[in-house]
Amino acid sequence: MADSTNQLRVRLVTPERVIVDLKADAVELPAKTGYMEVLYGHAPLLAELGAGDVTLHGATGGENAGNSDRYNVSWGFVEVLPDRVTILANDAQAPAQIDTARAKEQLEHGHKLWSDAGDDADKYTEAERVIREAEAKLASAGDAKTH
Amino acid sequence: MPSVLDLKRRIRSVKNTRQITKAMKMVSAARLRRAQARALAARPYAQMITSVLESLVRRIEIIDPETNNIRHPLFLSRPEKRVLLVVIAGDRGFAGAFNGNILKAAFNYIHDRGEKEIDIETVGRKSTDAFRRRYPAAIYNEKKVDNPADGEMTVKERDRKAPIEMVGDHLGILEKLEAHSAFEIAEEIIRRYVHEEIDACYIVYNEFKSVIQQRVVTERLLPLIEIGKHDITQSIELTREEREEAARAAASAGIELQEPDTHEADEEAKKFGTAEVDYIYDESPEELFNGLLPQYVSAMLYHAMAESVAAEHAARMTAMDAATNNASDMIDAYTLKMNRVRQAAITKEIIEIVSGAAAV
Repeated sequence: MADSTNQLRVRLVTPERVIVDLKADAVELPAKTGYMEVLYGHAPLLAELGAGDVTLHGATGGENAGNSDRYNVSWGFVEVLPDRVTILANDAQAPAQIDTARAKEQLEHGHKLWSDAGDDADKYTEAERVIREAEAKLASAGDAKTH
Repeated sequence: MPSVLDLKRRIRSVKNTRQITKAMKMVSAARLRRAQARALAARPYAQMITSVLESLVRRIEIIDPETNNIRHPLFLSRPEKRVLLVVIAGDRGFAGAFNGNILKAAFNYIHDRGEKEIDIETVGRKSTDAFRRRYPAAIYNEKKVDNPADGEMTVKERDRKAPIEMVGDHLGILEKLEAHSAFEIAEEIIRRYVHEEIDACYIVYNEFKSVIQQRVVTERLLPLIEIGKHDITQSIELTREEREEAARAAASAGIELQEPDTHEADEEAKKFGTAEVDYIYDESPEELFNGLLPQYVSAMLYHAMAESVAAEHAARMTAMDAATNNASDMIDAYTLKMNRVRQAAITKEIIEIVSGAAAV
């Protein structure tokens, strides 16, 4: 069982500020190749993040304790050490902060990029990025309402 | 000789001006405090991304030993034939020599370059206006190109007319500075570098450590020669008088002069990605560099903008403090003069009365 001695120190940092700095039992991360969950004692790992939700389980301590333990992030990096998880995200928002109207706009914009991409592989990658980011935001905001 | 009434009016007008400059100073001080906090909050991220890159570069050779290809085009340096100069100044005036100093540094740089081709990109209204007046905007022609896959497509082609041209401007992003606007600019710069439209990128901005510790620097952003080092080619420090003036203004507005102590947090952030263990890398080195380098460049750019914003507010605060002091001096001088004039008028009247009585 997790207790205070084997908790992970989790930090979520964006270019603008440090959003989360607290302890948690487990962290779910949206890595580029799919979701993964990190527990205390995980092997050191460095990975790129995709778009999705970072979820903290059993978060305690820190000044942000008690606030939302789920954050929508889009793109970034994560460093996992046995006792520490540091997430560098381009953008991170609590589900309640997500502007769904804007995310929908973004999704439409993404689809438009997709259909205009023609034969350019780079443009498809870009369009896919936009679509995935928008979809992740919408999914995350949608979950917040049903909870 | 102005009359008492004239002087009274004058004093009233100067008093009004003083009130305005004083208010502007307090507003700038408040904004400066916010800008400083923002620059500080951005530090952990910049520090972390720098240290993870440093450690990656240490672990993985930049040149792939098998294929002999460089891992990422941003590491590649070429002879500097075409240079992109990003000038970050303020959106508004009334900030003493702030905008002037930055423009001076930029013009110095352009002058030193001599015949080379320079593209200029500006951030902030003041630098945009200054460069627009001097240099033509870049012209792009649409050109039809035969594409084997779907017939014809249009490609934009640069039509260079002058050695120095404006390629872009960014207005109004400094007022409410957000990381993603810096990221967009960085992405565009990287795209141009990778496509070999430019061979190097320099930024001119006002570095800001604290109110009394700042300088205008010209810094190389690309190519990346050494991660984590500010590659400064030229800098202008504050003069002693400027520093004293700034210190006085800061003291009267209640701004800390010392740089806040972030040593502990910095050390903590430096640990990111540098532990002496073998990491499992989820991606190939190329992909990691691909993801990290744009972030690094945009963090540098964001850092430059955040410091520039703080410096602008500090400069305005200092300028407005000086203006307020000048107004006070003027009021004192006019009050003295007014009293003298009034005294003279009274004396004259008394003489008239006395001499009139004596004549009777």
